Amino acid sequence: MMILTGKTIVSAARPPYPYGGEFVSQFMFVLRLVWFPLIVSTVAFGYGAPGLQAANFLVLFGALDRLGGFFVLASIREFAPFVTAIVVAGVAGTAITADLGARKIREELDALQVLGVDPVKNLVVPRFLALMLVTGLFDIYALLFGIFGGILATLVNGAPLGPFWATFFTNASTTDLWGSVLKCTMFGAIIAIVCCYKGMTASGGAEGVGRAVNQAVVIALLGVFAFNYVFTQTLLATHPEITVIR
Amino acid sequence: MRGAIAAPRGWLESAGDVAIFCARVLSQIASGRVLRFTGESLRQAGILILSSALVICGLVFIIGLQCGIEGAYFTRAQGTPAYAGVFSAWCDLRELVPYAFGYMMAAKVGTGLVAEIGSMRITDEIDAMEVMGIPSIAFLCATRLVAAWIVLPFVYIAAVGAGFFASYLAVVVQIGEVSSGGFFLIFWMFQNPPDLLFSVIKGMAMATTIVLIGLYYGYHASGGPVGVGTATAKSMVVNIVLVHLIGMLGTQVFWGANPRAPIGG
Repeated sequence: MMILTGKTIVSAARPPYPYGGEFVSQFMFVLRLVWFPLIVSTVAFGYGAPGLQAANFLVLFGALDRLGGFFVLASIREFAPFVTAIVVAGVAGTAITADLGARKIREELDALQVLGVDPVKNLVVPRFLALMLVTGLFDIYALLFGIFGGILATLVNGAPLGPFWATFFTNASTTDLWGSVLKCTMFGAIIAIVCCYKGMTASGGAEGVGRAVNQAVVIALLGVFAFNYVFTQTLLATHPEITVIR
Repeated sequence: MRGAIAAPRGWLESAGDVAIFCARVLSQIASGRVLRFTGESLRQAGILILSSALVICGLVFIIGLQCGIEGAYFTRAQGTPAYAGVFSAWCDLRELVPYAFGYMMAAKVGTGLVAEIGSMRITDEIDAMEVMGIPSIAFLCATRLVAAWIVLPFVYIAAVGAGFFASYLAVVVQIGEVSSGGFFLIFWMFQNPPDLLFSVIKGMAMATTIVLIGLYYGYHASGGPVGVGTATAKSMVVNIVLVHLIGMLGTQVFWGANPRAPIGG
């Protein structure tokens, strides 16, 4: 997988660049697959986990207005990238593995190589770049809908929205936002590499493709979470100012 | 206009198909016909323990670490580092362990079922089974659901344990602003056995849904090797959406009206 990562990055940077069309079509493909599951997931997650539980806790202290501040921590820093990664891995990643795996066992990839077409440059690189870009962009989208879940939780508790926004914007910082987007882009890269690798090394007929998808999504999730832990830890430890409650 | 109606109508139709299939599987269990295959159920239970228990606990462990560091930094920012236990107790037990369990169940067990049963379907093994007079829904599907019900509550509780241990490691050993005793005092104060029961119910609802969806997509796979891959990918989409919806509903039902915290009245 490391070798594939290296090859992908090198052949993405080195001319010629024949993957423009494939890049656009993969981008649109992921966009079309992911938008709906992502809306449902982020609103449900934002409303349930940080929304209701934190609101319960804050209502006990009569401090529901702090929910906005909590959503900076919860939604921007953690849950938006995290839910985006889960949905992209589960929806787009599995589709990519199934697609490449089917091509592998029908020997289309070997045929490409015989024709002198590099499968890494023409298949993996566009998927890698498209998934990185689309996951980073979906982070913003997930963030908006996660906060919408928080607004629902505030309204369910019968509180006005003004204090929510006030504490939200005083606590939000640019560091949080770029950290979130950067993290999410890296998640996209991890998912793309794992899923392409597992698809391209599928073997053993029908069961092989299914098994490749299964393994790909398990490894992608574990990789994403392990990376998330290291990244959050580093970000929080190196930027102490973002943890201050204002 | 017709195009706009076609998509929701398609979803409604497949939701109906899934419901019919689930009813057939459950009726096999309710009527006791699945008991004829108890041996197969136990074998599936063994496979589930050997292949999935460890990876589920592993993912929950990583999430527990995550909860621990977020909780430690959040409570430090409020000037109450001693209360990191509250955040860990709620974040682990009530929300993220069920979600992490659901994700890993969907990824490992759900897609695994689709791949296995789907390849049986497209190599006509299921038809062969029917010809030989073995009821395929009872033998393939109902036994796997029974196996999941036997094993998963224990796997879930083990996963909760792994999550708690990870939060303890992150808060006490790694960040180190709370003593071990101080952490546990707050940690146990903010949860009680009914919370664990609710959490298990939430996890089991997710697990049942995931297994049923996986069985449905596997049993109805078609279109050769590509079809199995596509069915696997599709089951993952449906499972992820359902996991989030069940998580939200569970939180609303169990903790929505009553925060169950030892503060105030």
